[in-house]
Formats: sequence, structure tokens, C-alpha cells
Amino acid sequence: MSLVAPVRDLPAAGGGVPPPPDVVIDHVDRVFESGGRTVKALDRVSMKIERGSFVALIGPSGCGKSTLLRLVAGLDEPDAGMVQIRGATPAEFRNRGEFGIAFQDPALLPWRSVRRNIALPLEVLGRPVRESAEHIEQLIALVGLKGFEEAKPGQLSGGMRQRVAIARSLVTKPSLLLLDEPFGALDQILRRAMNLELQDIWMRERTTTVLVTHGIDEAVFLADRIAVMQTGPGRIVEIVDVPFERPRHPDLFSAPEFHALCDRLAVLLHLEKH
Amino acid sequence: MPAWLRSLVTTIVVLGVWETIGRLRLIAGRAIPPPSAIVADWIANADVYRLHVVQTLSSASLGFLFGTSIAILAAIAFVQWPVVERLTRGISITLFAVPAITIGPILVLSFRGSVPQIILAAICVYFPTMIATLIGLREIDPRPLDVIRTYGGGKGAFLRYVRLRASLPGMLAGLRVAAPAAVLGAILGEFGAGTRWGLGSFLLGSLGQANSARIWAIGLCATAVAAIGYAGFGLVARGLLGATTAVTVAANSAPDRLGGFRPSRPGQETLMVLAAIAAPFAAWWLVLHLLGLNPIIARDPIATFHYLFLADNAPASRAKLFNAFASTLPVAALGMLLGLAAAFVLAALSVLKPAIVRALMPPSLLLQTMPLVALTPIIVLIFGRDLAAMLAVTVSVVFFPAFVTLAQGLSQVPRPALDLVRAYGDRPVRSLWLVSLPFAVTYVFAAARLVAPRALLGAMIAEWLATGTGVGQLLNASRGQLDYGMIWATAFVSVVVAILAYQAVTLVERLTVRF
Repeated sequence: MSLVAPVRDLPAAGGGVPPPPDVVIDHVDRVFESGGRTVKALDRVSMKIERGSFVALIGPSGCGKSTLLRLVAGLDEPDAGMVQIRGATPAEFRNRGEFGIAFQDPALLPWRSVRRNIALPLEVLGRPVRESAEHIEQLIALVGLKGFEEAKPGQLSGGMRQRVAIARSLVTKPSLLLLDEPFGALDQILRRAMNLELQDIWMRERTTTVLVTHGIDEAVFLADRIAVMQTGPGRIVEIVDVPFERPRHPDLFSAPEFHALCDRLAVLLHLEKH
Repeated sequence: MPAWLRSLVTTIVVLGVWETIGRLRLIAGRAIPPPSAIVADWIANADVYRLHVVQTLSSASLGFLFGTSIAILAAIAFVQWPVVERLTRGISITLFAVPAITIGPILVLSFRGSVPQIILAAICVYFPTMIATLIGLREIDPRPLDVIRTYGGGKGAFLRYVRLRASLPGMLAGLRVAAPAAVLGAILGEFGAGTRWGLGSFLLGSLGQANSARIWAIGLCATAVAAIGYAGFGLVARGLLGATTAVTVAANSAPDRLGGFRPSRPGQETLMVLAAIAAPFAAWWLVLHLLGLNPIIARDPIATFHYLFLADNAPASRAKLFNAFASTLPVAALGMLLGLAAAFVLAALSVLKPAIVRALMPPSLLLQTMPLVALTPIIVLIFGRDLAAMLAVTVSVVFFPAFVTLAQGLSQVPRPALDLVRAYGDRPVRSLWLVSLPFAVTYVFAAARLVAPRALLGAMIAEWLATGTGVGQLLNASRGQLDYGMIWATAFVSVVVAILAYQAVTLVERLTVRF
């Protein structure tokens, strides 16, 4: 099957006009120094991420995919170039509380219950938690943790903790969701289940989402577009569109066209020779 | 047999043996009175004991309150603005190293009422509380920081939502160690203060009476007050956090855990070191002048320099000081080495035979809280009033904290490293030699830094109360002769000596430990 120029079916894209970009990454450089040596983590990286799209960043360790996400989140500053989110700097965007974020480590506060961990971003932003009480209950139900509202992270399994982190990333009703290998520490079975859950959540809200991952199948199953990155220096080598219809069913994981696309990505990642 | 029954039986057996020894005068004549005689003294003089305990307890509590509040605020300031910590590091190390007994006479001369005892208690609690809180605030999981920053939160939000709560175990461990320190400070503040009430005054007044039951009774009162404070914060920690044990290491830290700020330019480092040296002197000068104390009694750095180098009898004063320290320091150093060695051997043996730790840890934790001043007269009763007593006091003040530090250090040897050795044959001695001991070397130095000032303090207390020699005697005599310059000079030199000892340990560590 052809993998060229797929037609995308975004609800916002009425009359063939492309939706406005949410994130503009413009010729971004980032250099790290360690022990007198300089490492170019990102070299003139440019990319546009459209509103309501789901983009995956994929690549080997050290290709700068997490660095790129941190630049978008404003957790780090580029050495050259710029990142703009809806015309604002990441710092301005951040202070409006428009981000949602989750990392490979759930980074939960061990002394807070599930409910209060999910509420943390609201407290940091100075928003009243009580007004969101109902929303928090919905999120707990959404990630399948009903009955664990008052549990402490120490009482939960790794997968459950990660689901708390996902719920926390959604609590501010973000317009841009940043996920840095959120399922990286989970086993394959749990990971599949979480992939399906994340797709459901995304289908409902159509929040612009950036997912950093090193799982090829995860990227293909979830994303509209996949930016393939490479090391030495860290850069985007190709942006691949994913043509599959939504909602994507778990059967897709065993479809031949799914594997064909995975194989093509593997080639781009130098995992296999031509 | 259930555990409580076993403890009960053990207690009864110990008391029975003690009673027999005391009744039959089996050890050192009258030195060890039977418990019944101690209890009899309590009952016969209950009102007197109550008044003394209440006085010491009230000044210790007030000092504890002020000292720990300042310490916690300082720790928060240090973690939010690391440069503040670097600039005031000299003051922190001074407060860690200063032998409290040298400040007592100064405070007694400068303030009235129970103010000297309160200030000395506050000084004694400051360092353990500050360092434990600082380590608790600093050594935390950094990952939630990214979450908080993503929602626009900065250092303040991180402090509020993560650091403060995460530091609670460390802070409570610090308060726990600070409680007995406050009692020690309050009692030392009563030395030479001439106050009517307080366990320190009671103790000094009873020393000449050859009533060993009285001295034991006072010592046990002081220990009980200290231990109740220690146990109280342990219970609070357990109630709040569900755990207490692992964090006591932080509270027993020497200033090598201050860390934090790293200067970015080479010149800055020199500037920081200069600031660290200058700050204690500046604070010394400022405090005296801001309080408007009588300059004849309260000598500032310039007056002390004048006394030591420019005054007519400066050479005589220097000779006196030199002789006093020449008599004290060798004993303090020997006691410290013996105490450390004993603690090291026992801690190493306890790796092979964990029963040693189980048996020694509870009394070590308790004796660690026993105020030095309460212990000294009892040791003097047993060992007499000579060098042996002084050595025994120094060894015992060194041994218990060193044992606790080393035993906890050895218990933190990474399990996989031990498992690796076991996988090639289960030879505990070899595993101790190959893994545990090399791992514990850093804890030996940590323990040495921790106990160096205590050894000095222990030697001085023994000198003041028992042998009548060295720096302790010099302090006591200068107080009697109103030789204010000498009191200040002694305090100053003691601090310098303690800091030099601390730096010497650090230097030896740097030369020997290469990983």
C-alpha cells in the first residue's frame, strides 16, 4: 500500500484549509558541555505541529527527542532558534496553565493520595481545587482507578502510578499535552492497554499531543505524524505521515500495512539495512 | 516468651544484679549505689528534685524553641539561596565545633536570670537541627520539579509542595537529637552561674558531699528529661510518617554535609573562603555591640587580640593558655582515637554477628542522649579523679555516637555487592574485608568529624568537675578570678582547635580515600 500523502481527517480542518500550527519549532540548536567536550544535542531542528494533531518523536537514545520536548515545555532554553506556542514563548504559555505533562517516571509525591496528586497542578497554578473536584473524579474513572482515590503511590503498582500521572497531565484541561515516554517503564501487555486508553482520551478531547517514545509500534499506533530523529548531531531525518483511520482498533497491531510502516521506520532508524 | 515479658524479665534481672553489687559494694566501693538507695533519695527529697528539674526543663525548652526555630528558618534560607549558606558557613562550623562549656561563663557574665541557660541550650540545638533539616530539604527526588515548573511554579512552589514535606523526616530526626542537646546546654549554662535551682547547680552542689546515690539520682533525672524529649520526637515521627530509624544519620552529621553552592568563577571560591573565615568574627563583633554589652566583660575580637598579643601580661597569658591546651589536647585526642577504634571494631564485628547491634544499639542510642555532665560525675565515682577518669569520659562521649554512625553506615552497604561475594562462597569474614570495611571507611571519617568537638568538650567537662587540670580548670579559675580576657581567649582558641581538628580529619580523608 502507498504511504505517500495520506488524507487526514481532522474535525477542525473545514473546507480543506489546514489547521493553524500550535507549535512552531524554528531552527533550534541545543549544545551540552560535559568534561570539556561539547555535544550537539539538537542541530537546526525545525518542525510545525498542527492544532489537534498527535505527533510522535522517535529515535535512538541520545538523539535529542527528550531535549526537544523539554524545550517545548520551557524546561530548557535553546542556544539558537526559537520555540513558539500559539504565538507565545513556552514560559508565557506555561504560566497560563495550558500544558499537560507526563514523564517516564510518574514523579508522584509519595505523601499525597491519588486524588491530591492529580490536583497538584491546579494548586501550583493557584486555581481552586474544589471547583475541579468533579473533573478529578471523572479523570480517576477515565484511567480506571476508581476505588483508589485515597491510596498513596506506595500502595499502587507501577502501571497504576503511571495512570495517575496521565490523569494529572489532563487535570488542567491542557491545550498541549507533552508525553515523555510515559509508558517506557511498563511491560508490553500493560503498554498496549495504556496505548488504547490514551487513544480514547485523545479522541474525546483532540488535544494537541506530542509523544516521545522509542517504541516504533506505539508511535505508529497512536500518531498522525512521526518525526524520526537521529544522533550525532541530534536532528530530524524525516517526518512520516501515518494514514490509518481512527479509531484504531487493536487488530491494527497485526495488520500487514501496520508492519510495513514499522519496517520502513526501522530502516530510517538504521535498525535494518536496505 | 512474648517480647514484653522478656524485656520485663531482663529489667528485673539487671536491677537485681545492680542492687546486689550496690549493697555488697562489689565495684569501686561506694561508687555504684544500689537502685533502692537512688529511689529512696528521690522519694525523700521529691520537692527539691521537682524544683531543680522544672528549672532546667523550662530553660531547656525555651532554648530548644528558639534554637530550633532559627535552625529551621536558616536551613530553608540555605536551600533557597545556596550562596547564603556559603557566606555563613564559618558561623555554622563554629556553632558545630564550639565546646559549649567555654561559652557558659561568657553568657553568665553578660546576662541575668535564666537567659544564659536558654542561649546555651539554643546554641547546642542549632547545628543538629539545621544540618538535618538542610539535608532533608536538599536530598529529595528532583523529578517532581519538572512537573511543577511545567505549571509555572518556581523555587517557591517547589519549596511549598515538595521540599517542606519531604524534609519532615530529617527535620524530626534533627529535633530528636536536639532535645537532649538542649538539656545538656541548659545544664552547662548553670555551671558557675550561681543559680539556686537547676540540675546543673544541684549537681555542682552535691559533688563534695560523698553521696553517690544523690549523684546517680541527679544524673538519672537529667537523662530521663533528655530521653523523654528524644523518645517524644521519635513517637511524633512514627505517628506522622510511620518510620523513624533510617534518618537519624542525617541528624548526626558533621558540617561536611553542608555542600550546595558551587562558585562559577575561580576568584569566587577564594572570596567564599575569605567570607567563611571573616563571618564568625564579624558576627562576634556585631552581637556584642548590638546588644550593648559592657566592653570590660564582653570582649570583642579586637579586645581579645589585644589581650593575647599586645597587653603587658600577654606573654604570661599565652603561656597559661598554651600549658592548659598542652595538658588537655593529648588526652582528648587519645580518648577520641580509643573511642573511635572501639566503635569501629564493635561495628565491624556486628556485621558478622548482628546480635551485637541488636544488643548495643538501644543502649547506645540512650547513652548518646545521656547528658555528658550527668555521666561525668558517675564515671569519676568509679574511676577516681585522675587521668583515667578523664580518658573514660572522653571515650564514652566518643564511643556511642561513633558506634551509631558506623553501625548505620555498615548497614547501608549495597546488598548486590554483598550478594556478589556470597555467590562465590559464603565467607562472611572475607565479605566484611572485601566489601563492608572499604565501604565503611567514609563513615569512619564522618564519625571522626562528628566526635572531634565532643571529645574536646568531654575532656573539658572532666577537667572542670574532676581532675582540676587543663582548659577546664583554666576556665573555672578565670571565672573565679574575673579574668574576662582569659575566658574569651580560651573560648576562641577552643573553637580554633576544634575547627583545625575537623579540617585535619578532612585532609586525612582526602589523602587516603580515593573514590
